Amino acid sequence: MTTQMEGDQCAPGADFERPSAISKWTEDQEPVFSDKLWAVPVMESRCHGWPVCTQESVASNNGFAPWPGSPQGFLPGPNLDLKQPQIILLKEGTDSSQGVPQVVSNINACQAIADAVRTTLGPRGMDKLIVDDKGKAVISNDGATILKTLDIVHPAAKTLVDIAKSQDAEVGDGTTSVVLLAGEFLKQAKPFVEENVHPQIIIRAFRRAVNMLVQKIQEISVKISKDDKNEQKELLQKCAATTLSSKLVAHQKDFFSKMVVDAVGLLDDLLPLNMIGVKKVTGGALEDSKLVAGVAFKKTFSYAGFEMQPKKYTSPKIALLNIELELKAEKENAEIRVDSVQEYQSIVDAEWKILYDKLEKIHQSGAKVVLSKLPIGDVATQYFADRDMFCAGRVPEEDLRRTMKACGGSIQTTTQSLTDDVLGKCQLFEETQIGGDRYNFFNGCPQAKTCTIILRGGAEQFIEETERSLHDAIMIVRRAMKNDAVVAGGGAIEMELSKYLRDFSRTIAGKEQLMIGAMAKALEVIPRQLCDNAGFDATYILNKLRQKHSEAGLWYGVNIMNEDIADNFEDCVWEPAIVKINALTAAVEATCLILSVDETIKNPKSGGEAPGGGGMGRGRGRPM
Amino acid sequence: MHVPRAPGFAQMLKDGAKHYSGLDEAVYRNIDACKELAKTTRSAFGPLGQNKMVINHLEKLFVTNDAATILRELDVQHPAAKMVVMASHQQEQEVGDGTNFVLVFAGALLEHAEMLLRMGLSVTEVTEGYEIACKKALDILPDLVCGEQKNLRDKEGVTKVIKTAVMSKQYGNEDFLAKLIAEACISVLSKKVTFNVDNVRVSKILGAGVHVSSVIQGMVFKRQVEGEITKADKCKIAVYSCPLDVLQTETKGTVKITSAEELMQFSKGEETQMEEQIKGIADSGCTVVVAGGKVGELAQHYCNKYKLMVIRLMSKWDLRRLCRSIEATPLPRVTPPTADEAGFCDHVYVDEIGETPVIVFKQDKEESAISTIVIRGATDNIIDDIERAVDDGVNTFKALTKDSRLVPGAGATEVELAKQLTTYAESTPGLEQYAIEKFAESLEAIPRALAENAGAKATEVLSKLKAAHQEGKKTFGIHLEDPSIGGLDAVKNDLLDLYINKYWALKYATAAACTVLKVDQIIMAKPAGGPKAKENRDWDED
Repeated sequence: MTTQMEGDQCAPGADFERPSAISKWTEDQEPVFSDKLWAVPVMESRCHGWPVCTQESVASNNGFAPWPGSPQGFLPGPNLDLKQPQIILLKEGTDSSQGVPQVVSNINACQAIADAVRTTLGPRGMDKLIVDDKGKAVISNDGATILKTLDIVHPAAKTLVDIAKSQDAEVGDGTTSVVLLAGEFLKQAKPFVEENVHPQIIIRAFRRAVNMLVQKIQEISVKISKDDKNEQKELLQKCAATTLSSKLVAHQKDFFSKMVVDAVGLLDDLLPLNMIGVKKVTGGALEDSKLVAGVAFKKTFSYAGFEMQPKKYTSPKIALLNIELELKAEKENAEIRVDSVQEYQSIVDAEWKILYDKLEKIHQSGAKVVLSKLPIGDVATQYFADRDMFCAGRVPEEDLRRTMKACGGSIQTTTQSLTDDVLGKCQLFEETQIGGDRYNFFNGCPQAKTCTIILRGGAEQFIEETERSLHDAIMIVRRAMKNDAVVAGGGAIEMELSKYLRDFSRTIAGKEQLMIGAMAKALEVIPRQLCDNAGFDATYILNKLRQKHSEAGLWYGVNIMNEDIADNFEDCVWEPAIVKINALTAAVEATCLILSVDETIKNPKSGGEAPGGGGMGRGRGRPM
Repeated sequence: MHVPRAPGFAQMLKDGAKHYSGLDEAVYRNIDACKELAKTTRSAFGPLGQNKMVINHLEKLFVTNDAATILRELDVQHPAAKMVVMASHQQEQEVGDGTNFVLVFAGALLEHAEMLLRMGLSVTEVTEGYEIACKKALDILPDLVCGEQKNLRDKEGVTKVIKTAVMSKQYGNEDFLAKLIAEACISVLSKKVTFNVDNVRVSKILGAGVHVSSVIQGMVFKRQVEGEITKADKCKIAVYSCPLDVLQTETKGTVKITSAEELMQFSKGEETQMEEQIKGIADSGCTVVVAGGKVGELAQHYCNKYKLMVIRLMSKWDLRRLCRSIEATPLPRVTPPTADEAGFCDHVYVDEIGETPVIVFKQDKEESAISTIVIRGATDNIIDDIERAVDDGVNTFKALTKDSRLVPGAGATEVELAKQLTTYAESTPGLEQYAIEKFAESLEAIPRALAENAGAKATEVLSKLKAAHQEGKKTFGIHLEDPSIGGLDAVKNDLLDLYINKYWALKYATAAACTVLKVDQIIMAKPAGGPKAKENRDWDED
């Protein structure tokens, strides 16, 4: 028996693992982007993406006794022969792959991701239309949005999605650049890995280089003084305009950059993002969008009697409530015992009285506008209408909070103490028609540490993309306000850094010279892609740029308008230095992470349906 | 139909049970399995070790070269391999670092044991020899001690020791991280109680880069405040372990109302009661309220009215740690705290780190009960890996508080031990001699792995090292950046390992290897069907 098992073991055991795994790698060598985005191997269709245990490899595994063979490979076979319990090193279905091919395959996967967003870079970048599994269409050229929507499953490629998200969280813009840079760093590192240079040496060189780059950026960035408010405002507008120029709304960038800077300028020192409300109303033109120095929100659901209420007040007092103004049980589990009809009637009266008491108190407080988080019923609506007051129930909490920020006062949970100091004030309250909807406006608020942007536009997707673009611009302005250093965009800073690194690399001996040189080359991807996307001759323009930079033309970058190069600092293509610093650090961190992985081990997914539950069926990795 | 069974051991067992015995069937196979395991983690050993991508059964991705994490997520099933894994777990619990050392060394021991067994030695002779060698090695080890870090508050000295531990996880960032860890550890080191690893917290926030990470004396929570107040300085803090709400009866009951009067007064009464409670807290001088449960809307309203900052913590553990940090007593009921019960904190404020809003409890004084390391990084995986490095660093500090002796790192100790053991072996009569020699050879697996991971020719590097040690340069180890030049003085280059780390690692690895070797029969019952009992892995694990 022993001999027979031994025979079984060696031949097929050795046979199955290597070739199938290698064929996986070769298949992965060139992840081709077909016209269907979701057909890319690295995404969704997990079974033919990266070297996981695919169906065929499992199939080829069938039919021989797995026990003797298993200690050799990591892969245990399926438990077919139930009479023969086996000793396996790892759980059934666990898959592992390792070595240099693994690194290369990871790099390839990442490049496929970088290719997906490559064409969206810059003012001449194209947008992507992505249809998700629910059939919802998204049009975007924001790297983070695209990658988030793509639902990538490849573990290495996920890293790139993560850095895009991180860039989005930290600075809000430059998400495409960061992915592109990471992709290019990896691409440049790939030949070295294939030539068996130890990945740790590459990583060390990259880490060293990025520290130098960050220092260099800080050194050459231009500080703008905050003392002069006008000057600062102008600077911020330029930063916003640079961001917007690569978006769908590039044509209206002056209009929007002004709006964004004004909006951020209205906030308090913390610059909380949630205090800028963005409301989307379809219809009208982009230029009809406006900034409200105060609060605006859509008219809420209302009951009969609402029409009778006035829709316009000058300097009203505003009551912000968290009370349900309707007939309701005082206490949920209360029970009332009555003996007589009179008593019953008095209870009913009491309930009405409670409601009327509340309404009375609100009326007496002098408030003209009543907003509540909870519903305001028809009795209350009618009551307020009779007394020349306006009310709106079921106001979304964030809108109510912003109203509170703008108009002062505080949200009340009882009507007991409606004094003047808890009521908000504003100069003008108005309900007006915008597009197909009615909106409540609060203008001229005393504290006005909040604002609302009302976006108009044709298609729904268009407005959504506009919102994302504005979000990016707002984030950039916030960053620029906190850190006042700027650099020139349009590939200028990248060319300068590239030159700096290239010069430096020549002064060092050892393998690091090559790596740092490679990184210098990789930095050129940004201007190159800008040219490619604009349809220019990239090689020609890059040569001109290199020449200019070697002659101390510090801020020369690609001029998108004239198919030429120009001093982008003078042309006011400005970006906050922090965007570039963060993009470079994140890209290098991701690159190092991917390079440092030489083995992937995948455990089979646990049985239970509940994600993250971990309980059900743990340890029951059934053979397919 | 009755099927006659094969005679022998199988006859006695139930259907489906299996049994293996003898060298070929059991011992060699066990060795094979352990070798295989060691091979995986071996390439992750040392500063130049490669990372592994491990996807666990919940589809969570780990990118790490921390052996303990790899093993935990791997779910090793082979019983013999499990023993080695357990040895490394023991190491993790005892010292907190050096888990990979145990695996690699145990793997090497078993590999050499196989050779000896094939040579004709019996299992007992091998294990006995190993045990003698291990004892001898532990005798030699104190002689190799090259220094001691007695002053635990000496930041520079502590940083040096932590650096070596961090280096093997985050090569390139070790200087920066070691400094952070040393700062955090020293600040929570109190004279009264022993150092507790739990007092150094880690808060992971996505965004920016590793170099923006920082240490905060106090605690950081990734939450928003409940109310309107977002900042308080020099404040007294009331901590409640209960919800801040109208108390509910446990017993099922209904409110009985008999008259219209009562109905009208009811909610008013509730409101007044609540107001009194909150007013009481405000009157006691507290400006910050921390609740362990839900904050009711009514309570929130009055907190806003009395300008109390309200924070809700979901985790009981967090609440307990916060209490330790601000020296407060958690109250089980909403009552005004006495002067003793209330905590104190210099600054409590809401901040935005990256995109994440956080609540920071910060103490001004240099020493505090708890310090937090805020880790930043571009991806979740990077942050997780840094957290593990920090963890190792903190554990190293803990080990340092127990035993502050240091031995040279970079493989120097192993080479020296190997050298002395070889000499010792030659003076040993009996067949154990072979085993002791092999033990010495197994020790060389450590510098060998270091050299291989650095991309150098291991044999060549090793021979140079051996030569250096023969000349009496006891502290010579591998030069990682350029292994071919033959080595460097580990002590002068601040590559220091902890004595107890090596001590336990040698002990556990030898014990595990001997246990695996001593097994000569494997009997497996037929695995029972049905799902396993539910495991709650997601509970807060401390």
